[in-house]
Amino acid sequence: MIPIEYFLALGAILFIIGAYGVLTKRNAIVVLMSIELMLNAANINFVAFSSFYGDVRGQIFALFSIAVAAAEVAVGLAILLALSKTRDTINLDEISLLRW
Amino acid sequence: MQPIEFAWLIPVFPLVAAIAIGLFGKKLKEGGGYVAVVAAIASLAITAAVVVQVLDGSFDSADGVMDGVFEQSQMWLTLTDSYSFEVGIYIDQLTALMLVVVSLVSTLVIVYSLAYMGGEGERKRRYYTEISLFVGVMLGLVLANNYLELFIFWELVGLCSYLLIGFWYHKPSAASAAKKAFIVTRVGDIMFMIGLIILFTTFKTLNFRDLFEIEASGTDLSLLTIGTIMIFGGAIGKSAQFPLHDWLPDAMEGPTTVSALIHAATMVKAGVYLVARSFPLFVQTPETLLVVAIIGGVTAFMAATMALNNPNIKRVLAYSTISQLGYMMLALGAGGYLFFHTQHAEGYTSSMFHLMNHAFFKALLFLCAGSVIHAVHTEDMRLMGGLNRKMKITSFTMLIGALSISGIPPFSGFWSKDEVLATVWEAGDLSWVFVLLYFLGIATAFMTAFYMFRLWFMTFTGKPSVASDHAHESPRVMTYPLILLAILAAGSFLVLFVGGGFGGQVFFEEPHSLAPAEVLTATFAEPITYLSIIVAICGVGLAYAVYYRKSISSDVFVSTKASRTMYDVLIKRYGFAAAYDAFAEKVVYGFSKLVDLFDIYVIDGIVNGFAFIFARSGNIIRRLQTGQVQLYAAIVIAGISIVFILLYLVGGLR
Repeated sequence: MIPIEYFLALGAILFIIGAYGVLTKRNAIVVLMSIELMLNAANINFVAFSSFYGDVRGQIFALFSIAVAAAEVAVGLAILLALSKTRDTINLDEISLLRW
Repeated sequence: MQPIEFAWLIPVFPLVAAIAIGLFGKKLKEGGGYVAVVAAIASLAITAAVVVQVLDGSFDSADGVMDGVFEQSQMWLTLTDSYSFEVGIYIDQLTALMLVVVSLVSTLVIVYSLAYMGGEGERKRRYYTEISLFVGVMLGLVLANNYLELFIFWELVGLCSYLLIGFWYHKPSAASAAKKAFIVTRVGDIMFMIGLIILFTTFKTLNFRDLFEIEASGTDLSLLTIGTIMIFGGAIGKSAQFPLHDWLPDAMEGPTTVSALIHAATMVKAGVYLVARSFPLFVQTPETLLVVAIIGGVTAFMAATMALNNPNIKRVLAYSTISQLGYMMLALGAGGYLFFHTQHAEGYTSSMFHLMNHAFFKALLFLCAGSVIHAVHTEDMRLMGGLNRKMKITSFTMLIGALSISGIPPFSGFWSKDEVLATVWEAGDLSWVFVLLYFLGIATAFMTAFYMFRLWFMTFTGKPSVASDHAHESPRVMTYPLILLAILAAGSFLVLFVGGGFGGQVFFEEPHSLAPAEVLTATFAEPITYLSIIVAICGVGLAYAVYYRKSISSDVFVSTKASRTMYDVLIKRYGFAAAYDAFAEKVVYGFSKLVDLFDIYVIDGIVNGFAFIFARSGNIIRRLQTGQVQLYAAIVIAGISIVFILLYLVGGLR
């Protein structure tokens, strides 16, 4: 039996890598991928605790989370597609319409 | 049911008439004049029944308290358990006296108006509405059983006065006179209101009956002096006493009937009535009484001097009214001062007696003046003259009024003026101030006789002038009220000899009824009586010499430089009119400007300053919104991290 701390550490590492990607990458596709990493970090935690407590609800939530992530990616990619069509870029630094 | 229980109807009739005339006056005959007369007569009839009951004391008091007062009241406003206001009626002999004066004079004046205002056309409806409203609220003022109710009616008579002075509002002089009357009396009203607030907060009631018993209640009376002085301030404004007297001469811009009713016989008496009504409070504060007496004496003297050379017949009468009101105040002040020291309050009685007589003879004089003005279409006495052959009734009745006000025995003015002066003389034993005031009063009596007969001789004797060529006697609707008032002006002293005399009915604390023989000895055994008779006769004689025989030229009054200056000062009313204007312009307007500057620079400055600070700081801070999503995300993550780190450090997560 692998102690739960290992899973949590893995989740934390994944989350931090994802957050780092979201904050630093300029390419919107990469940012979307980083968000997926963060979501999966959460999923790992769900499943780890589910196994640790012997409670199946964590696994159900992980499934929900995967489904929501898939939908989110679909919406996100659609927005990016529209963006690249109209503004001819997906560089986040150049997309700063909502400012002063 | 006894008649006195219907007393509340007395003011209701004229008020209903006012509403009816206001709504339907156009369709009624004479613009509703007859409705106004009927309402006034109805009030007079109930008044008569009530007064008969008050005089013989045969009524059952409604509340079971047997102190000679009939009171009916209703709770009106309850603020808290200990603070409440009532509405009600309060009838004692003073109320009865005022009711008689007001309803009798107003009935006669409205009858007289039928002819005098006959040519006003469409405006008659407004006139009769306003005058009925006035009669109603004046009667309400007299009947009120507490100061708040009195104050409400007090303001309403002021409103009616404003409306009626400005009756011919298309004349700029009338419009500004109306405004002046309203604003100047308002100065007094504010003081009155402050006085009421002081009384109410100190004694927790404004009911006359409760307030008049505060002496016994053991409440702290230290605020009473300032309270009574403030109430007297209201009387100063309404009764045109020095230094707020200057509105009354200007108020003569209204119709003469209005001058007779409101500005001679009734409304200006409200101030005197207020002091008389508050007498139980005033007699506990000798300082206030001294102020009342001094203001009264000074007013009587000053106003009489200004009447000496005025060429306008109505203004002479207006100054004379102010002067006589001063007498009443003087008598109240001196009488109260005497009561404080000796427990005798004859001054109260003499003041009220003078009030009654003055209402009759001054209404008579004004209506006579109105009759003259009606005939010659001018108010300038220099353009009149020789009218006594053409207007026999007017000239004869006015002569009676003039004799009465001058204090020539046996006309009624003599008796009351003599009593007033006797009171002041008696008070002279207590303080030298009253000796001074007595001589002011004597000088006033001399001047009164002089200017009244100057008026009479200038108007009715001498050579007929252009204006009086086609003059003719007024119609009977006008002369009958004159004759009735002349009978009253000549004979109202007879109440001294009926029953216990006037003092047996209208008195303060102790009735002092005298048998007819005692009245005569009390009057004619005193040497000072002869002094007042002599000065009155001297005044008449001087006027006779100057304006009838012309053996002394009237130029003597303006021949030397000093007398010319004096003449100009009097014509300019001691500069009071100019001083009011200057005060309004410099002090009030200057203060308003100062307040305006404060508003512009301080208040607006603060508001605009805040707006400026926020606009500027917003301009700087908005640059934080870069539109960079990743920066926002970084801030969110940094914030959450800080929260968690802090929670960990303080132990929330352990």
